[in-house]
Amino acid sequence: MRFARPAFVVFVLVTLQTTLLADIDVFGARGDIVMLLPIAAGIAGGRERGAIVGFIAGFALDLVVHGTPTGFFALGYTLVGYFVGMVQAGVLRAAWWIPVLTALGGSALGVLTLAIVGKFIGLEVPFDRKLVTIALVVAVLNAMLVLPMMRVTRWALPVTSRGGRLVTS
Amino acid sequence: MALSRRPGRSRFTLALLLLTSITVLTLDFRGSSAIHSLRNAVSSAFSPVRDTAGSVFSPVGDAWNGLFHYHDVKKENDQLRAQVEALQGQAAVNADAKKQYDALAQLDGITQFTQLPSVTAQVIAGPLTNFEHTIELDRGTAKGIKIGMPVVTGAGLIGRVTDVQSNRSVIKLMTDPDLVAGVRLVSSGETALVHGQGDGKPLVVDEGIDPKVKVATDEMVTTSGEDRAVFPGGIPIGRVSKTELSADQLTQVLTVTPLADLGRLTFVKVLLWEPPK
Repeated sequence: MRFARPAFVVFVLVTLQTTLLADIDVFGARGDIVMLLPIAAGIAGGRERGAIVGFIAGFALDLVVHGTPTGFFALGYTLVGYFVGMVQAGVLRAAWWIPVLTALGGSALGVLTLAIVGKFIGLEVPFDRKLVTIALVVAVLNAMLVLPMMRVTRWALPVTSRGGRLVTS
Repeated sequence: MALSRRPGRSRFTLALLLLTSITVLTLDFRGSSAIHSLRNAVSSAFSPVRDTAGSVFSPVGDAWNGLFHYHDVKKENDQLRAQVEALQGQAAVNADAKKQYDALAQLDGITQFTQLPSVTAQVIAGPLTNFEHTIELDRGTAKGIKIGMPVVTGAGLIGRVTDVQSNRSVIKLMTDPDLVAGVRLVSSGETALVHGQGDGKPLVVDEGIDPKVKVATDEMVTTSGEDRAVFPGGIPIGRVSKTELSADQLTQVLTVTPLADLGRLTFVKVLLWEPPK
């Protein structure tokens, strides 16, 4: 039962990514809602949780998509979740816009990370204006969705403490 | 899940996860049957869910595209009308030439790609993420499709089967830089190799064409079908849209615009033809 909620969330996000978001073209780019999960987990639960959730969500996506090698998204999202958690650890203020800004920057960084990983393993990656468009589209969409996603993350993966304080959602 | 505040532990977890990812990637690149089977099993199990969710969400996608791409669609519609009129005239002229060519090809025992057995399939998914350049079809091994078979539309070659399951197959499009095809320039008869340059970009022939050879803009490029070719001969690929000399001036670089609209594929044909081993 401990893993039922996170598994359900990953399942829903992968389904949304491969259906709804795959169909919606924004300036030639698609949103990346699965990436939002490690970002939200990194913000809410720190770098270790961000990395673990990133690996699981990425691996689930890897098994369903067909044009990238298995392990590509697992590797990329692990790094994204870890870095977002690391950045969030240094944030002392608690304001609603901080996660939004973190998701904006984290998503753009995530797209760049995937692009670099992709280039490294021989995928055809556009290091031009298209990559900037993809990063912007993913970043804006994820920034818009990060607050509800953090609630989902706290429901799926309850956090008992953060920085010694009790976290209430 | 217990959380750790110790950076050492989280770094260890990160290292472990990265190592696992790299191992999985390496196994996949080496063609591990375990990874392939796992991916096929998950993909097959997930297919009904995706199909159902896809039909639920397709009105949303259609509404979005209708709302934000209305002017593009209208402009394209006008262009297509003009193109259809031009092609109707051209088709009448070509009909006679085709009849003569068919008769000659039959005499010489040449098999044309249009005579090859084929399976019509529907494109059920385009790229699902920003880093893919493949499409997925609703036909697979159950209909005789195998890895390596060419995929065409009425306009010409679009790609090649790279992965196949019982009722699905994955097609790598011609725009993928990894896909290389032997080609022939129809007017001059010159042969060379064409490859992609990425999503939405034209194809390129960057070696094999002597600078002295006269290549007309708009010249048709077809598959050469030479020995051990990965595609049968005579399949139209595209038209030369630009010619220039390479930096070392030893060869011509031809930009080839594909005849098929690779961004909007709905129905395609998989030719049941396997490249020679």
